[in-house]
Amino acid sequence: MLKKEGRSNPHYWLPFLFVTFTVVYEDFAGYLVYNFELNKQINEILGNVENPRFNVWYYNIVNKYIVTILYLFLIKTRLEPSKRKFINWMLAFFIFSVLFLGLTGIEPIYLNQPIIFALGANMILVGSGLYFTDLMTNQKYLNTNPLRLLSFWQMTFILFTYSLTYVNSVSITYLYNTNKQLGISLAQIDLVMGVINLSIFVLTIASPKFSGIFEKEPFYESI
Amino acid sequence: MNPFEDQIYVIIFSTLFLGGLMSTFVVAMVFIHRQRQAQNRQKLDFIKSEHEKTLLNIENEIQHETLSHVGRELHDNIGQLLSLAKLNFGSIKPEKHAAGRELLSQIIQEVRSLSKSLNLDWVDEISLEDFISQELEKVKSTGFCETSINFETEFSNLKKDEKLVLIRVIQEILNNAIKHASPNHIRISANQLEGAQHIVIQDDGIGFDINQNSNGSGMFNLAKRMETIGGKFDIQSKPGNGTLIKLTLSS
Repeated sequence: MLKKEGRSNPHYWLPFLFVTFTVVYEDFAGYLVYNFELNKQINEILGNVENPRFNVWYYNIVNKYIVTILYLFLIKTRLEPSKRKFINWMLAFFIFSVLFLGLTGIEPIYLNQPIIFALGANMILVGSGLYFTDLMTNQKYLNTNPLRLLSFWQMTFILFTYSLTYVNSVSITYLYNTNKQLGISLAQIDLVMGVINLSIFVLTIASPKFSGIFEKEPFYESI
Repeated sequence: MNPFEDQIYVIIFSTLFLGGLMSTFVVAMVFIHRQRQAQNRQKLDFIKSEHEKTLLNIENEIQHETLSHVGRELHDNIGQLLSLAKLNFGSIKPEKHAAGRELLSQIIQEVRSLSKSLNLDWVDEISLEDFISQELEKVKSTGFCETSINFETEFSNLKKDEKLVLIRVIQEILNNAIKHASPNHIRISANQLEGAQHIVIQDDGIGFDINQNSNGSGMFNLAKRMETIGGKFDIQSKPGNGTLIKLTLSS
């Protein structure tokens, strides 16, 4: 569907990576439930012998590490070149924090990791803030209609996803122990926002077909 | 109400509060963006109208100078040649008639070149280097001072408007040097450094204090003119130390 030069541009391949990654991730999560032995072995390697059925380690790696890093990369492509270094610093700090908190046992990988989630979510919220700063100050963004920019909708829904799930994700263990039904209900927000984000990514990949509706991203050429 | 319920309410309200805060934030961003867009548009319109005004002024100045030049040429050159031709044709000698015909050919050439200078098409045809060479040659031919030129870059990417502004600024700088600086030597060089093109006009005249208002207003106008084409105007001068003016154009 995309031309060759479009396929090699992160404006398209990053959303495509998100979509394909989600498909693979969900499939493998299902496989881990099916293949109990594999899950048990990995849990044992990671030090979890009490709850071999848990696949929290997999959820952490995917949703708390990889997705955060991918979102930061996506935000980076939307920023003006001079601000991209901030995202690089955030990425380096995030990776260092994940390794430090995991290896020191402060937040074991097989349990819920609220500190790492909070760190990643804060970085994504700051990154979105940088995008909105650009939207108001950068000449290229000022020449566009933000409602017709897919990057604007991506950033808006990323912002909503992380602000709406922030409290829930940090307090998930507490909620499951005190009011499980509420915990499950609040977790639905994450699922709904995930579907909306993926829909926008699909729309981004298909956007060259709707050039009359969506405007070209101001920093399309500068990556 | 037990403490557990309290904490549950805190979680629910915090989530709703953050969601509401983000909604307000995004809506506010869109409104601010619209406002800034309108301000930006006004600013761009203002810059555009200033640019057009400056260009119009420059075109008028050049036309005025051209007309003065044409007037002088008609009186001092073509008028003289026509008188001479009349004298030659009034003679009975055949060789005088031949000389008269040569004079007529020369007059036709002069009139053609004058008519070309009446519109601004010559700006497109001449390169900046050639124009500066001609201007320096004119200065040199008056015996006022020595001149030299050294171009290490071409200004072939300049639009007509930009070239007009540059031509006028350079003419004005040369006029100032001749009128006020009494130099022995004027040197113009051009080069390309770090993605920008520079024209440096240097004289070894009496120089002046650039902080004095009487000199500053003329320089301010030249700087404004350079700004209209996205360029920069820098000046260095001290009494007794000559003047160096640098015109910068980003490529």
